[in-house]
Amino acid sequence: MINQYTGTSPKGDLLLLQRLAGVFHGRSFLHVNSTREGGGVAEILQRMIPILRSLGIDARWEVIKGDEVFFEITKKIHNALQGNKEIITEEMWQHHFEVNRQNAANIDLDADAVLIHDPQPGPLVEFRKKGSWIWRCHIDVSNPFKDVYNALGRYALKYDAVIFSVAKFARAMNMDEFIISPSIDPLSEKNRELTGEEINETVERLGIPLDRPIILQVSRFDKFKDPLGVIKAYRMVKKYNDCVLVLAGSPATDDPEGSMMLKEVKEFAADDPDIIILLLPPFSDRDINALQRVAGVVLQKSLKEGFGLTVAEAMWKGKPVIGGAVGGIPLQIAHGVTGFLVHSIEGTAFRIRQLLNAPEMAKTMGERAREFVRKNFLITRQVRDYLSVWYAIENKGKSIIEL
Amino acid sequence: MIEGFEFKQCTSILKSTGKKAGNLHTLRDMIARVSDDCIFHHTYQYFLKEHILEYTNDFAHWAGESLEERSLAEQLSSIDPYEFDNIKGLRKELLYVVDDYLERFPEPREAMRGDEFFFNETVTLVFPIGLKAKNLAEFLMAIKYVDIGSIYYHFYEARMRVGGGIDDFSKWIEESLGKKGLAERIRAIDPFMHNIENIRKHIEEQIEEELRGDMEAMGVEE
Repeated sequence: MINQYTGTSPKGDLLLLQRLAGVFHGRSFLHVNSTREGGGVAEILQRMIPILRSLGIDARWEVIKGDEVFFEITKKIHNALQGNKEIITEEMWQHHFEVNRQNAANIDLDADAVLIHDPQPGPLVEFRKKGSWIWRCHIDVSNPFKDVYNALGRYALKYDAVIFSVAKFARAMNMDEFIISPSIDPLSEKNRELTGEEINETVERLGIPLDRPIILQVSRFDKFKDPLGVIKAYRMVKKYNDCVLVLAGSPATDDPEGSMMLKEVKEFAADDPDIIILLLPPFSDRDINALQRVAGVVLQKSLKEGFGLTVAEAMWKGKPVIGGAVGGIPLQIAHGVTGFLVHSIEGTAFRIRQLLNAPEMAKTMGERAREFVRKNFLITRQVRDYLSVWYAIENKGKSIIEL
Repeated sequence: MIEGFEFKQCTSILKSTGKKAGNLHTLRDMIARVSDDCIFHHTYQYFLKEHILEYTNDFAHWAGESLEERSLAEQLSSIDPYEFDNIKGLRKELLYVVDDYLERFPEPREAMRGDEFFFNETVTLVFPIGLKAKNLAEFLMAIKYVDIGSIYYHFYEARMRVGGGIDDFSKWIEESLGKKGLAERIRAIDPFMHNIENIRKHIEEQIEEELRGDMEAMGVEE
């Protein structure tokens, strides 16, 4: 499987992967998160586990189960880590722990390396058996609500290392803190090249008009993705340039607030026929791929963001992206070079108009964007980094390691 | 028998120190206190990044872009890390430049929240890439083919490892091939003034010229 990336991924990444695969051949690597579908973590795991296995590593992916109350609590924890003031009572923390205790009894936690994704399964570390335990935080914790952040610290400190997506999310924690950007898979259904027929099929089925430029945002219906701000920006642009706005998102099983936000977005869009709101079912990857390919301008106008992988996805398709300057978005967009970073609704509208009126500039930016993603944000680089962290933990204290 | 040149490559995984600075005073205090690995990352390893902007280290980049202290950014950018034999000397120079600026402008602005300077280190993995050149022609082919991580390792990182401003390429060319002139011409390529792709191009040019000269000397026409 890894050979399929030859010619696409950087040569050095593939070479190092093979070296590390030699080191870890036959050893077990367990990933645990809280959802099989919806959201960037599940998506990357669906692709990463087969790659790890093809390298000869005994990789497994387990998903913790929880009741509705558990996911309401973990959503509050998630929001608090992103800065919202949320009250998590001791009883709620106890429930969070109890659900994890039940999961620990049902999941085989015996592995040489265990990577726990996000706070939902964080307490599993209390039940560690052996191996290196790594907590992978995908959330923007640059300005967290302190009570909740500190309470979670009781678990974080029991890991061997923590991984954040962006340096500014890290805190002085007296433990190894690695910085690893997430990634996209160029061969997945969401990112592979599509034929004209495939694109047309999607466009016709979803009722997307192609007679005017399309402005697209692909994201969950979540207030931190600012869908209402996107509609406001579109309305400013619409006074000057005829265009169509497409807001496309998938429901996630661990996000109970999504349906409320979707209702609000629909009400705000009112009866404008040029605002197309698509609630795509899970695994609509080809549709998202096609939408990104027909879009003229792609937005990711997030107010808070873990990383914002939809930015790299669109850049991989040669699109200039206008993104909120939050979370990992500035790491993907070099302002004015591979896209634009914005800080306001007005700024978003201005940059959309700029790109719609200068198609040559948009094309050049898009080409640079694709190359930047190839070098920095493909899945082979992320697998390389996870294995490197595992190797670094096993060689603790060394800053230069010869393989 | 000539000893072949084995190409290696390095890849660095970023590690946070958890320390940050929101203004120049804190930056100065941190530069004085952080590890040698941290200073190394923010200066020498800057060349591993494909920098599009005009700076030559992370401190200058931050001063220019986040604090908008353009004059300081220029001064920090003109510090050539390869002038120093060790991190101690480089650290001293960084502190001298920041102190001098603070004396003239004692109340510099604060960075926006979230735009502070974040102090990082790296864990570097070094690995052979399975390419060995036995002569200059093979070396030229390899130079054209390898990733920039390999050129960084042998041309930039080597200067600290080998010492005396000498890189792996010119060392092998001089010691194994006995081509002192070519080695000196490669050593004369200023690592501070180019990005890695340009370094690759300059090395290629020098070797092609040498090979042309060798062929002419042997009476071989192109």
